[in-house]
Amino acid sequence: MKQLYYDIEKCLGCKSCEFACAVAHSKSQDLFGMIFEESLSLPRKKVLSSKGKNYPVSCRHCKEPKCVEACMAAALVYDSQNGMVLHDERRCVGCWNCVMVCPYGAIRPDLKTKIPIRCDRCKDKSEPACVKACPTGAIIWQEELILYTK
Amino acid sequence: MKQFVIIGNSAAGIAATEAIRQRDKTSKIIVISDEDYYAYCRCLISYYLAGELKEEMILYRSKDFYENNNIELYLNRRVLRVDAKKNHIVFEDKSKLGFDVLLVATGARPKFPEIKGIKKNGVFGFRTIKDAKQLSGLLPVTKTACVLGGGLVGLKVADALRKRNTEVKVIVKSKQILSQMLDIEAAHLLQERLESNGIDVILGQDVTEIIGNGDIKAVKLDSGKIFGCSMVVVAKGVSPNIEIIKEAGLKFNEGILCDNFMQTTVPSIYAAGDVCESFDITLGKTTVNAIWPIAVEQGRIAGLNMAGDKLEYVGSVGMNSIEFFGLPAISLGVYKVKEEERKAFEELVYLDRKAKVYKKLVLKDDILLGAVLVGDIKNSGLYLRIIKERIKVSDFKHKLLRENFGYLDIMHHLKEKENLYIHRSKAYV
Repeated sequence: MKQLYYDIEKCLGCKSCEFACAVAHSKSQDLFGMIFEESLSLPRKKVLSSKGKNYPVSCRHCKEPKCVEACMAAALVYDSQNGMVLHDERRCVGCWNCVMVCPYGAIRPDLKTKIPIRCDRCKDKSEPACVKACPTGAIIWQEELILYTK
Repeated sequence: MKQFVIIGNSAAGIAATEAIRQRDKTSKIIVISDEDYYAYCRCLISYYLAGELKEEMILYRSKDFYENNNIELYLNRRVLRVDAKKNHIVFEDKSKLGFDVLLVATGARPKFPEIKGIKKNGVFGFRTIKDAKQLSGLLPVTKTACVLGGGLVGLKVADALRKRNTEVKVIVKSKQILSQMLDIEAAHLLQERLESNGIDVILGQDVTEIIGNGDIKAVKLDSGKIFGCSMVVVAKGVSPNIEIIKEAGLKFNEGILCDNFMQTTVPSIYAAGDVCESFDITLGKTTVNAIWPIAVEQGRIAGLNMAGDKLEYVGSVGMNSIEFFGLPAISLGVYKVKEEERKAFEELVYLDRKAKVYKKLVLKDDILLGAVLVGDIKNSGLYLRIIKERIKVSDFKHKLLRENFGYLDIMHHLKEKENLYIHRSKAYV
């Protein structure tokens, strides 16, 4: 199963990933079209900075997802085949239980559309838009990682 | 092969069956419900009443869930009592069913105050899809309704009734709405939002009588005031359905007492959800936290342990999330400090009345115990994590209420060490 990893030494905090994410989740799929859409498409990813280092934060697709447990509408489900938390917008009532319990603060409430904003790994595209957009190659999209430490 | 019996077919019951099946594909699982519905999203019945969701959208699992997971479902069956010595349960029709391991996930039911007229037709609780359907059926001939109780359920009903063009008055005994979840400042902000959308809120008064011969005509308050209405919804809290175990030798207070494995004082019997009383992290003692997410969490742990696991529950934190007419609010753990205990606690507060944003954190010795968030709820999950892991916030206390507070600020204080951030200088892929 593929995961998103971040090379912290390479991330410049330029937020290209945030832009690309918002565009990829807009109706028009285009930056200039997007800004005129009725409800502005929001990025599923946020680059946070601390002590000169930048860390992109988005949904982890946890294996034991608290958001799925908390979802009282069964709109969030865990798809174990693809290792992803999926969201069914038709079922969602915008109760924000998922926002209340996300241990990473990676779900943001879109109060206008009443839909929780979270990473879907651009599942209908060949690879996540953030990966494509990153100018330094800091976002790595690859099979789950085994870390070798020196 | 074991026989697992689960009384209750809602959040905790379903989570338990799924957890059992995760570990044990063959044993028999029997789920018993006193309703005649497949598991549904109980918290969505107000959305159904409001006309925002169709009935099929509130099913919690697909119709073939029981068959696919090899679960026997008994609908419309009421359990009379549990016999812990003989390891069986007795139904209302006196028939018996044996179990190796039992889960009591019977939930709770609305409390009805003992006032004159409470038994009249047209007085409803609001707990089941049946309640919602009955209410909905009466709406074409109902112009005015009174809701007794200003808690989460009462206000959700009021919201739904308003959306169906009914005039609604909410009568609240306390001096504020949502007194079990918010402090007075947060309650004010939400009350304002409700009132500006046409829901009347009457504070500090209680109903003493429901008036009418046959049909309901009015309610009478303790102030002597009378409000005309043709429907009354009682939403003054719930009480756990513990009657069936009262003679069984299990320890209980308000709810059935459970240890950190969701086991009752009888080893073959577990409990989870609104019926159970378990350890609360912020209160430091057992309590009933009757909310959906906790029921699922407890049901899952109970199920895994019933199937032979030894998973420990860290305890619950009372919490709630609501939104009325676009204004969201979340409360976690300790949301209000008693006047006489003020000295022992510290409160961090951010308030912007104009923007309708209010955030309050309650701390004791730099340990976060609770939060109230109105308008800006995005960091709620992080606060919950800080509360649950009892992280000392001394190093980053000044950042907690900042707009840009985020995961990074707590990352290095967490028990879990994630591997998705790579420092190339230290590690190689």
